[in-house]
Amino acid sequence: MILRIVNDWFRQSNKLERLWLLAKIEFKLRYYENKLGLLWALLKPLLDIIIYYIAFKIILKNDIPAFASFLFIGLILWNFFLESTTGTIQILSVKKYLYEYSNMNKLEIYISTLLSNSIGFFFNFIMFLLFYNIFEKESSGLSVYNVWIIAVFVNLFILSLGMSLILSTLYIVAKDINQIWTVFTSFLFFLSPIFYKLSTFKSALPHFDYGNPVAGIIINARKIMMEQSPPDFRLMGFDYVYAIILLIIGLLFLNRLGSTAAEKL
Amino acid sequence: MENGIAISAKNISKTFHIFEDSHNTVKHRLFNLFNPPTRKDVPALKATSIEIKRGECIGLIGRNGCGKTTLTKVLAGVYPTDTGNIRITGSTMLMSLGVGMSHELTARENVYVSGSVLGLKIKEVDQLFDKVIEFAEVRDFVDTKIKFFSAGMMARLAFSIAVNAGADVMFLDEIFSVGDMKFQEKAIKVFESSWINGKTVVLVSHGMNIISQYCNRAVFMKDGRIEFFGDTQKAIELYTADNQ
Repeated sequence: MILRIVNDWFRQSNKLERLWLLAKIEFKLRYYENKLGLLWALLKPLLDIIIYYIAFKIILKNDIPAFASFLFIGLILWNFFLESTTGTIQILSVKKYLYEYSNMNKLEIYISTLLSNSIGFFFNFIMFLLFYNIFEKESSGLSVYNVWIIAVFVNLFILSLGMSLILSTLYIVAKDINQIWTVFTSFLFFLSPIFYKLSTFKSALPHFDYGNPVAGIIINARKIMMEQSPPDFRLMGFDYVYAIILLIIGLLFLNRLGSTAAEKL
Repeated sequence: MENGIAISAKNISKTFHIFEDSHNTVKHRLFNLFNPPTRKDVPALKATSIEIKRGECIGLIGRNGCGKTTLTKVLAGVYPTDTGNIRITGSTMLMSLGVGMSHELTARENVYVSGSVLGLKIKEVDQLFDKVIEFAEVRDFVDTKIKFFSAGMMARLAFSIAVNAGADVMFLDEIFSVGDMKFQEKAIKVFESSWINGKTVVLVSHGMNIISQYCNRAVFMKDGRIEFFGDTQKAIELYTADNQ
């Protein structure tokens, strides 16, 4: 019965169409406004990979197998989180035109922006699959466990949405949240196993993979995509709980602080 | 909601809290923990109730700063109320100069986004698209970002979207000051045609001819309060007297 109600609601309203329209326009604005176009979306992680590869493989001589792919999957997940949080802090100010003249639900603005980021992630993920399976010498190939990446990505989406809601609504009352979050994410970047070996990370920061949801998501994505094994379900459970708690806090903030956005921004 | 009522607002009020010192950063809040900012309260809308029937065209008049814009924004759901509650049947649209369009988007994109926000499906916007563009007289600039438009072009486009896409409840703030004389004539013609039939309209204007010509009833506001709500001519008389 609930499914029927949800289905009727979507069919009768234009909400899904609107989300997709806003996501497409956002994507176009981001990537087609510069000369490199969509190529930039693919170039950005590739350039990051080259920088970290030179630093950690060539100079520091680490022994992580398939290191370029190891970096690739870590960086595209991290970049999605960063773009969806840092990139949306001012969303209520930038997208004011959408809610200042109608009673449109503000949550739709966030979802459409994250959908737009998801399109970018999708292109990068296809690039990763091609790279890992065609060019990576130490590739272990495709596996049935790869489908678990959908659950990992949904986890990342919910986590990013929750943080985006919290940060952008705090921006209404604290304009320097942008600078604070930039410092925090730089810290979080080095506290996530993006270019460290998992065993080094775990011995240096025991149990921290359970304290940092981004770390858990990256660890599980690598297990699924590169180690031909199922995800660590306990870790995934923890990460889902974090994401859902942050989403609930974000929705409460949106309801409380976000409702004053039109008059304060 | 009771049949035939489009807007029902009970005991609504709105006070703006203006801070004289800048306390909108974490740093400033931390350094001034024991030094709270000087706050000035501006009661823009004092406890008010109003009920508007479906299909009515209501005039909203009063001197500058009396609370007309605050009342329309509160009723349209743009500002939250401090007290009371509002019930509205259907989608709402607030139309005033420069509101509701992104300057980073083209005219085409703005038509689709606005139409969609107002509840239309993409196919419905497809059907309306040419009409909106022709009416706004921006055919040669369909794929130009509206930040390159003149103020008049932008206002015409917003008006055309409102006229063609429209919402169930429309709040129109000084829309007849849009565009040149030719466009204003066209706008009035639209208003006189069947456009407002079936729609609930709240019309904010300083033009008493327009208010007396199109509004069934009118609200006269003074100092954030509804002083009178009823016969249009009586409201205009009160407004005129207030301006003496």
